[in-house]
Amino acid sequence: MSAVDRNFPLQDLVGPSLRGRLQSRLDLLTGVHTALADLHGTLLWGALPAGNSYRIPVELELEPVGHLIAACETPDRLKAAAGLLEMILQQRAQYLMAADLHLEAVQSDYESLLAKHAELEASEARLRVLSRQLEDRVREQVDLIEARQRQLYESERLAAVGQLAAGVAHEINNPIGFVRSNLVTAKRYVASLAELHDAISKSSSSGVRALSDRLDLGFIVEDFGVLLDDCVQGADRIARIVSDLKSFASIDGAEYERFDLGEKLVAVCGMVEAALPPGVSLTCRVDDGSLQVKGHVGHLNQALFNILRNAVQAVRDHGKVSVRAEREGDRVRIEIEDDGEGMTAEVRRRAFEPFFSTRDVGAGTGLGLTVARDAVRAHEGQIEIDSAPGRGCRVRIQLPVVTP
Amino acid sequence: MADFEEDAGKLTVKVVYYGPAQSGKTTNLLRLHDLPGPQLKGEIMTLETRNDRTLFFDLLPMGLRAPSGLLIKLRLFTVPGQVAHDGTRKAILSRADGVVFVADSHRNQTTNNAESFDNLMHNAARVGLDFARLPLVIQFNTRDLPQDVLVPEDAIRNDWRQAPWPLMFSSALQGAGVHATFASLLEVLYGALDAEFELGRRHQLDRQAFVSGLCGSGTTESGS
Repeated sequence: MSAVDRNFPLQDLVGPSLRGRLQSRLDLLTGVHTALADLHGTLLWGALPAGNSYRIPVELELEPVGHLIAACETPDRLKAAAGLLEMILQQRAQYLMAADLHLEAVQSDYESLLAKHAELEASEARLRVLSRQLEDRVREQVDLIEARQRQLYESERLAAVGQLAAGVAHEINNPIGFVRSNLVTAKRYVASLAELHDAISKSSSSGVRALSDRLDLGFIVEDFGVLLDDCVQGADRIARIVSDLKSFASIDGAEYERFDLGEKLVAVCGMVEAALPPGVSLTCRVDDGSLQVKGHVGHLNQALFNILRNAVQAVRDHGKVSVRAEREGDRVRIEIEDDGEGMTAEVRRRAFEPFFSTRDVGAGTGLGLTVARDAVRAHEGQIEIDSAPGRGCRVRIQLPVVTP
Repeated sequence: MADFEEDAGKLTVKVVYYGPAQSGKTTNLLRLHDLPGPQLKGEIMTLETRNDRTLFFDLLPMGLRAPSGLLIKLRLFTVPGQVAHDGTRKAILSRADGVVFVADSHRNQTTNNAESFDNLMHNAARVGLDFARLPLVIQFNTRDLPQDVLVPEDAIRNDWRQAPWPLMFSSALQGAGVHATFASLLEVLYGALDAEFELGRRHQLDRQAFVSGLCGSGTTESGS
């Protein structure tokens, strides 16, 4: 019930502090002893007079709320006093209603403010969550862009190298082809020379035999064949390096394709081996044919090459580098191990960090392992480093195998 | 929701004069108090403030006694029109049995009228009054304004032609239309009270006796 709908009993309207003061003044005005009773007959002040008395109703809002009682000659003064009391009661009622109403309005305003406040807090919390999600998304996107940038940088660099390699390979292929062919032909010629030497050694002409001995023709004919064999081997080696280079240079086949990672690994090893310092040995054990993966050939080549190059650089001039690739369930596991200087915990922790390098300024970009990690991750693989100072380093890569 | 106290033989009915600030709600009550009319009329309570703005409410009690002896007491309230006093408006509107919406006829008060009416509907819903069934009369007051700032009666009638409520015109300052508005509300109010408390059957109080008992029968005035 609203404050303005409430009934105020006489007790509330004429509070204890008001009673004594009102009574004394009304008694003085009427010249008699007054008594004020509520509708139940309870006296608020004074005492019921013995004998004849007047009971004047005291009304508020059309209804009696009590009676003013006194023993007097005529009721006129008592009625005037009751009228005065009514005016005071009305003021009191008005004050009480306004006060209650004020409280009620303030309370309801306060409650609606609280409700609004709660709504605002909820929406602020939602905003905070959204902004956090947004920040995460932005961070993810930034990471992605950075990774792509690194890949782009590295693949552009390698594309240039690849183009150069492809060009060089093409230019070398022709001459090396006829060099080898001519060497084989030349070897056949050596057989004729050998025949000639035989004939000369059996010749009756002493002058010709003496010339042959002086020129040491027997040794020449013998050594000539060995020299040519070496040359053919050298030409074959050049041809293999060129072929590896071409395989490695297939960097910008942009599409994902299915290929044998083992073959690629062997090619990469071949390339590295070509430039291996004399005191370093490289062994490469790769399971045949079972390492089918799907992905970007150029990027994976690049990843393997980067790791292998690191391993070779880690052993400096003397040491062993071994590469092992095998099938393990539905994964390809590649381990590239060296017995070089190893990494401290700090270096290992930061090894994948972009632009982090332990080499001299200008000697490394600090992107090798970063790019390798990005490429492996892009192919849903894992890469981890196991290393300690003086105990070499082992990089393990796992990639999903595609089943036929 | 009229308050029926069977033991005391009393039915207390609440009427609220609602509307935008300074549209003449208090003046309506003062006129009703001054004019002869109701069988029983109490003293008007006003909380006068500076600038004659109503801070809390005004209250005019009046009443009549039905042939059955039932005392029907009407408590006429005004609300503060100023936007800031919404909490007070809501508290006063609570449990109202009838509403007179006092609009200002000044051209530049059209928006305030609409906002106040919206506020009335909103607060009615908040205090649980069924607005569709609430006895309501629309009074366009301040018809004594100069013609050039006054919204013409035709325009107002046209605007409100779809509305189901009685539309009254008044000048409370001059006393015109105040009684007619009140009588018009009593007509609607009787229907609602009779339906709930059987004023006619149980208390032998018919509509005409109800209206004239609270409004007087012989009052003449211009307006409406």
